[in-house]
Amino acid sequence: MDDLISDLPQSILESILTRLPIRDAVKTSILSRKWRYKWASITELVFDDECVSSSHDGNVVEQSLVKFITRALFLHHGPIHKFQVSTCYLQSCPDIDQWILFLSRDSDVRELIIKLGEDEWVRLPSCLFNCKKLTHLDLSCCELDPPPRFKGFSCLRSLSLHRVLVAADAIENLIWSCPLLENLALSYFDDSLAITIRAPNLKYLYMEGDFTDIFLENTPLLLSLSVVMYMADDVAEHFELEQSSNCNFVKFLTRVPRLVSLAGRAYFAKYLSIGDDPGPLPITFDHLKIIELFEVSFEDMKEVLVLLRLITSSPNLEEFSISAGESTSPAEAPDSLDIWERECPADWAFKQLKVVKMTDVNGIPHEMDLVKFLLGSSPVLKTMTISPSTYFKHDRMVMLIELLRFRRASSEAEIIFLQE
Amino acid sequence: MSEGAMAVVKPEMKSYIWLQTADGSIQQVEEEVAMFCPMICREVLQTGMGSSKNYAIVLPQRVNPPILGLILDYCRFHQVPGRSNKERKTFDERFIRMDTKKLCELTSAADSLQLKPLVDLTSRALARIIEGKTPEEIRETFHLPDDLTEEEKLEPLRNITDDPRIRLLNRLYARKRKELKEREKLKSVEVEEERVDERSVDDLLTYINSGDDKGVRANKSKKKNRRRKDPLKDALSNKANGDHEDLEAVPTACSHSEAKDLEVATPHKALKLQDFPLGTFSPKLEFDDSYMDDDLDPAMREELDREVEDFARRLNPDWPERIQEILCLDRPERKLLPVHINGTSSSCACISLDRR
Repeated sequence: MDDLISDLPQSILESILTRLPIRDAVKTSILSRKWRYKWASITELVFDDECVSSSHDGNVVEQSLVKFITRALFLHHGPIHKFQVSTCYLQSCPDIDQWILFLSRDSDVRELIIKLGEDEWVRLPSCLFNCKKLTHLDLSCCELDPPPRFKGFSCLRSLSLHRVLVAADAIENLIWSCPLLENLALSYFDDSLAITIRAPNLKYLYMEGDFTDIFLENTPLLLSLSVVMYMADDVAEHFELEQSSNCNFVKFLTRVPRLVSLAGRAYFAKYLSIGDDPGPLPITFDHLKIIELFEVSFEDMKEVLVLLRLITSSPNLEEFSISAGESTSPAEAPDSLDIWERECPADWAFKQLKVVKMTDVNGIPHEMDLVKFLLGSSPVLKTMTISPSTYFKHDRMVMLIELLRFRRASSEAEIIFLQE
Repeated sequence: MSEGAMAVVKPEMKSYIWLQTADGSIQQVEEEVAMFCPMICREVLQTGMGSSKNYAIVLPQRVNPPILGLILDYCRFHQVPGRSNKERKTFDERFIRMDTKKLCELTSAADSLQLKPLVDLTSRALARIIEGKTPEEIRETFHLPDDLTEEEKLEPLRNITDDPRIRLLNRLYARKRKELKEREKLKSVEVEEERVDERSVDDLLTYINSGDDKGVRANKSKKKNRRRKDPLKDALSNKANGDHEDLEAVPTACSHSEAKDLEVATPHKALKLQDFPLGTFSPKLEFDDSYMDDDLDPAMREELDREVEDFARRLNPDWPERIQEILCLDRPERKLLPVHINGTSSSCACISLDRR
């Protein structure tokens, strides 16, 4: 009866052990003599609530988790490339400082993920910034305070800050000082934030939260942009009153010519619409394939115009999803209804558009015009899915009749009407 | 006519690579399939080998013909470019269904051929096999020798939890070790006497066991006790001749189906224990009234007993039955401690309960 597994190369055993939950990996230490310390040299340590037995008392869980992690680190030998702690039980404990100090000493750690409970904000120690080889930093519910002379993480590729307490200029400097940064996610900063992003290698940007202003100053390589922009109502009104001629839309989107995917929710469309209409854009988004815009207010002429400008600057659009915000006022006066004919370039065609999804449709004239425009200018359209809004109950038949009449450029187009 | 002739793919148009496995047998494989393996690909490109039977590429030692067949099946499927991710995933899931031995061989072979996707796939499968199993189950699946001493099994846990009870146990343990060492030095081997002692111990066991409702297991342990007579001679004779008549034991919380005896303290004894296959040890446990020197009052001791039992229970799923058996073996008059069934799986430790 030969031993089947203990003599496999260390790299394979490591590969197996890192795929086990850390608790099972540690348990292999009593399998046999050869296995005694195999777990101790794995390079990835991932700790979560599963590491310790559950209990009704959160304090008990916290204590046993702290003990487990500390002992595991102590017994571990060799480089640690990935260290992850995801738990809601560790509220605010000095042990985290020790762990990060331990990791920063050898400064081999490449991926650091710390996700803590939401009740107390742990202030991460400054030795975190000594981890020179970090490529991936993911923090959640903690406080960050970069030291004044911090030069940046020269290898950092991916940064994710969720509910992190940090000053706006500190974030901006952090982003700017990481030259290789490709992936950035910022969400839920407590205060409204106006942020400028300078990241010459940035490819993927995700932002969610209360932002008053987002300025993409230097992000020429951006491929994917996803923004969920919450705005307090008074802030939104303040913007409207300001009436700056600077059009946000231009300011925002013309700096990302290589964009492939754009997604905007909440107040994003409104944010873009602030400022004067720029007229037909001088540039086209040749690479833009996917557009998703949610909570667009179809009663607001300016938002509709932004939408129009956006899609008529994206000749290679392949997928388009749009949903209407809540219908706040009855249909606009008919004089604005011909903007689609007026403003759209003649003979415009979406040569690649295959899938369109419209949700929360209310049958508002601008919405119907958009549908008409899309159907008439998409020669390779495959499906258009329309889901009515729950508030829109009475005139569905009217809307459907109108829909039927629209000319379709694509003989293969299916219009799928989704009832609840 | 001519079209029909041209439709036939002439064999010489397809190119093959010749591979030689560790046992000397040579086979030919379609080029695109073989080239999917980085190691073969490199050999072909750098050394030009593999183009004919005489110049077959010699594969690493770990690749034998049946395993090579599996690897080539894998390559044959995945080298086709048009497959969807879902198709590949489905194939992988089905491909990976094989017995553990073959899976380990496959992992090893794939690694030597540097076929990383297959190594990842097999590693994942092996991890899935290991996950959630008790150490004993894992040992059985992979034929691992159970060659750690009790002390060694205890060490990781001792560090990880920093449990004061474990520290206490280790102290007792160490003290016991010392005692045994001393007794060994004093004792000279007397075969007949020891035999007699042995038998008396067995009789004692029989007597105790006959009153036990877990008679079956106790009988098993009695049998094992007999088989293990020789190496335990010293220890048992020590006990028999000592002041106490109770037996020493170590209930292991590492879910051995049979617990090992305590006498692993000295290297001498440890060696002997390792000669024995699993299953020949009997669970015996003793509780002593005068536990230790540490000035523990009876209340503390009771609490310690309970804590230790609780601790072991959490570690050992067999514990409830084990503790019953153990307690019955030892003193019939001792009350049975309440035993709670707990669903947690066993973990990496065992405890030793000893007595002076």
